[in-house]
Amino acid sequence: MPRSGTTKASRRNVLKGVGMATIGASLPPVGSALAQGAPAAKGPKLLDMEGKAKLAVLGDKPLVAETQAELLDDNVTPTAKLFIRNNGQVPDVTGDPKAWKVKIDGEVNTPMEISVGDLMSKFPAVTYQLMLECGGNGRSFFTPEARGNQWTNGGAGCPMWTGVRLADVLKAAGLKSSAVYIGSYGADPTLAGDTDKPSISRGVPIAKAMEEHTLIAFKLNGQDMPLIHGAPVRLVIPGWPASVSTKWLKRVWVRDKEHDGPGMGGFSYRVPKKPIVPGSKGDEKDMAILESMPVRSVITFPADGTRLTSRKLDLRGHAWAGDFDIKTVDISTDYGVTWKPAKVDAPANKYAWQNFSASIELPTTGYYEVWAKATDSKGVTQPFQAANWNPQGYGANPINRIRVLVES
Amino acid sequence: MSQINVIHAAVIGLAATFVVLAFDRAGELRKDQYVYVPPAPKVAAAPAAVDPDKGKPPPHNDKVEDLPEGKNRELTFYTCTACHGVALIKAQGLTRDLWDSTLDLMVEKHRMPPIKPEERTEILDYLAEQFPPRRKGRGSDNPFLK
Repeated sequence: MPRSGTTKASRRNVLKGVGMATIGASLPPVGSALAQGAPAAKGPKLLDMEGKAKLAVLGDKPLVAETQAELLDDNVTPTAKLFIRNNGQVPDVTGDPKAWKVKIDGEVNTPMEISVGDLMSKFPAVTYQLMLECGGNGRSFFTPEARGNQWTNGGAGCPMWTGVRLADVLKAAGLKSSAVYIGSYGADPTLAGDTDKPSISRGVPIAKAMEEHTLIAFKLNGQDMPLIHGAPVRLVIPGWPASVSTKWLKRVWVRDKEHDGPGMGGFSYRVPKKPIVPGSKGDEKDMAILESMPVRSVITFPADGTRLTSRKLDLRGHAWAGDFDIKTVDISTDYGVTWKPAKVDAPANKYAWQNFSASIELPTTGYYEVWAKATDSKGVTQPFQAANWNPQGYGANPINRIRVLVES
Repeated sequence: MSQINVIHAAVIGLAATFVVLAFDRAGELRKDQYVYVPPAPKVAAAPAAVDPDKGKPPPHNDKVEDLPEGKNRELTFYTCTACHGVALIKAQGLTRDLWDSTLDLMVEKHRMPPIKPEERTEILDYLAEQFPPRRKGRGSDNPFLK
């Protein structure tokens, strides 16, 4: 029986009809700290979005939100806690997800436009736990400030992704010998609302595209891909700046040269090959594409600012290093004078982060900084402060630190 | 004089009526009341309405006052917020040189409509004054930074 009679008016829906721009302008924006009655204490604005945890909002337009260190504690990042980064607007994705089409063209023998349904039925599905990390992760550690979203370490997460291998799809299309790079395109309109140009289009060399962990993914933690994370399908190219893991995937263009879409040139997703004076304009000629993300460790327990009632501290966290494994994580509670190795677990699979833990006895009550420093399988470790400053702030991976107070 | 007052009264009265009507439509004046919804027509089960906004970020609107007061604030606001939220602008701390190259980036790479030179100077004046480098540390007093 159809519902009739009286229904409680939804204030939000009525407002929609009147026009958010006029009356809405005098109300706190949906999702503001005020609207959710959060404590007025200083700190980041917290995300208020269905299906998402209270992440720290770095920007509302486009929506960019990072996962606070203590929310990164899970071994497998829950979908609700996965960071959000958009370069454009979120596209309308309606209708049957299986009818969504992805075009494969360029340097292939058989260009195709394949539906998501066919992707699922024609190629084997695989599931891996894979790192997704924003290229600008750690940017806020640069002094002076570098341009862009001021990430701490929370532009990263390691959930389970299910999809088909991009390699299988490219093989089906038949790579020509001229294929050296891919460029990928999503359906997101630009921030200004244009749909006739990409908001961003990045890519990777063909070898990375053909790597067995590079996926066209349609599930996140076993569930259909949420819209905000790229429904119905997205690329997941682990270990590299997440901007190559195109959301709302529409096209993979196989190129005969390095891809040159928006986000590939200038200072974007590039690091200095010749050091730049911090705070200066720099020269684009001195920059090289950031490929594998740098080694990083994050203490996820206890939280920064924790008061301890005991001198015994059991800490834990995760460490990762782009294309490489973590060899060691060391802990210092005396500003780097002495270091003690943490226990480091093997990754669930290649490109998954590695858990570390340590049990520490602090010598006295009082204030301590607890530092973590990871070293990767090449022997490359984290610097004491963000190094290789660059105008757009990539590659900042200083040692991680939390502050604790041991009370008697 | 008295005629002007009558017109004033009329204008104010009409304006007040519109404001009250707007708040009324918005439900501000009738919170927790119930409204009549006619029974749904008995058509063949219509496909579930698809809300294209489902799963999208909450709507967001900034106001000029969200930027700190200063000369050229309005021009800066309307130039930048066509694409960006105020929070992103406020999170930056850049020299005038870097603000200048930021505008280059927007025009050259992100297809921002070109700005008149005099307006560009005014926007730069505002941004460089309001959002200079603030982070202090070893990198903040570099001897090679002019």
